[in-house]
Parts: sequence; C-alpha cells; structure tokens
Amino acid sequence: MLKRVLVIVGAGAILGFAWNQWSGRGFELRANALVLPGDEEIKPAEAKKRLDKGALFLDVRPGLNYEIGHIPGALSYPLEKFDEMFPAMEPRLRDSMDIVVYCAGFGCDASHMAARKLKEKSIPAVVLQEGWPAWTDAGYPTKEGKQP
Amino acid sequence: MDGRRLPDERGQAALNLLRHRVVLYLIGLTLGGIFLYAAYDKILHPRDFAKIVYHYRLIGPSQTIDPALANTLAVTLPWVEALTGLLLVTGLWRREAALVAALMLVMFLVAVGWAMAHGIDLANCGCFSVKAGEEGSGRALGWKLLAGDTAMLAAAVWLVVARPAPAPETAP
Repeated sequence: MLKRVLVIVGAGAILGFAWNQWSGRGFELRANALVLPGDEEIKPAEAKKRLDKGALFLDVRPGLNYEIGHIPGALSYPLEKFDEMFPAMEPRLRDSMDIVVYCAGFGCDASHMAARKLKEKSIPAVVLQEGWPAWTDAGYPTKEGKQP
Repeated sequence: MDGRRLPDERGQAALNLLRHRVVLYLIGLTLGGIFLYAAYDKILHPRDFAKIVYHYRLIGPSQTIDPALANTLAVTLPWVEALTGLLLVTGLWRREAALVAALMLVMFLVAVGWAMAHGIDLANCGCFSVKAGEEGSGRALGWKLLAGDTAMLAAAVWLVVARPAPAPETAP
C-alpha cells in the first residue's frame, strides 16, 4: 500500500513540475510569485537606510492597519483608493526621488501592484520585500495613529 | 421473534450497507469528483495558487524561508489532487488514493486551523478557486470550511479502512 501511495504522490509531483516547465503557465520556482519582471524589491536593511536618507514611504495597506502601526514618516495610500487619491498625492510623489512601497507581507501583493501603477505614471518606486512584518521583525521603529 | 431487529443487528446492517461495493464506489466517485474540481483552477493558475499558499504563512516565503518551498507545493499539490481524484473516480487503487486524499485533508485542516488560530484573515482558502471575492468563488476560512473538510476526511478514512461486504448468498 505504501508503495502505491508513494507512486501517486511522486507521479503527481512529476506531472506538476513538468506542467510548470512546459505548459506556458508556470513560473520560476526560486522566485517570489508576487514579483513580476520589472519589479524591484529591497530588503528591510536597505529600506531603513533609505528612510534615514529621506525616502518617501507609502503604506498601501487599508487605513486601519496604518493606524495600528506604520513606518514613521510613511503616508497612508491604500491600494483600493489609489486612483481616487492620486491627484492629491501626485505633486508629492513626483517631487520624491526615492519611493518605497510596502504592504502586509506574506503574500500581500498590494505593494507590487501599487509600484507598477506608479511606474505606469512614470514614477519609479521600489517594494519593501515581505513588507510590514519584515520591518517589525528587524526591530526597526514604528509609529501608531493616523499621522505619518 | 416479532420482526424487529435488535439494535446491534441494525448497526451491523448499516455497516454492511456502508461497506456495500456500490456505496463505496459512490463515496469514491463523490470524493474524487471534489478533488478533480479542486485541482482544476489551481493547475491552470499555479502562480495565483502560490500567492494563496503564501497567505497561510506556514512555509514562507519570509526573510528566513525561501519561496521555493511554497512554490514547489503550489505546483505539485494540484496534480497530486488531480491524480488522486482520477483514481477515486475510476476506482483504481481506491484505498491508496483515499489514503493520499486523507493525508492532504489532514494537512489542509492543520493549515486552516493554524491560520484561524493566528487570526489570519483569508478571503479565499484556495480550496477550489484561486480568485477571491468578486473575482471568483473563493471560500473564506471558518468553522464551516473545517466541518466540510472533516466530513471529507471521514469519507476518505472510511474508504481506506472499509472492506467491501461479501455478496449475499443466494438460495440454490
């Protein structure tokens, strides 16, 4: 019985790898599935350096998450309100030489989507890899409330 | 006697019914159909399924866990589901396929329980569709989901342990 169980699991795995390789629907297994060609990610240590140098941080999580805790100086710019808020945000965004976008990490692709939307408008932005949890895990400063 | 069966006789009759070849086949057919359906969307959209696996926060990716682990699960699990479903539907290697189904369901119950215990809010469990909310028919985490999976686990375990009842003897 065990042998047949292993055959089922093994055959399923082989089919899965083959499909991923040759179906045209697969993706690079060693890369984060959230990251598409053209996306740029930075690690928390690099983000901290940029924060200290005055980079503009955008928190694209829902507003309530921002109030609970955010990176000091970051602006709340929820992805679902991207288009609605863009006219008011645009001057600030275009003035910034360095923009870092982050979201809730763990499969949250809001930051990647926001960075892509900004790039479509010719505003370069990078994504904080693994987002907010990576920042807090690194022990970097955080702030509560609605104010940046 | 008076024609009524004793309770243990009734229990034995119910057990024999559940062990009937046709009943076992129907359980396998239903369970296999569910597994085939569950695999379909994930096979078509492996990248989207990988994103859902990330949401569970069990096997990364994180600063310490490489995305390859979650990605490997995302591309292989749907095909194991599909193969298991196919075997259950056809009745080939039914006990072995049911054991694989039971193991996957235990794994899934642990993942859902873990996510619920840690307050992870998933709009889509990744059970049948890789699109959530308005985009698709994703099922959210919750007790209803756990109950449904437990029922499927019971069915899979029954297929593993049940021996088909012998055919009734016919009078000469």
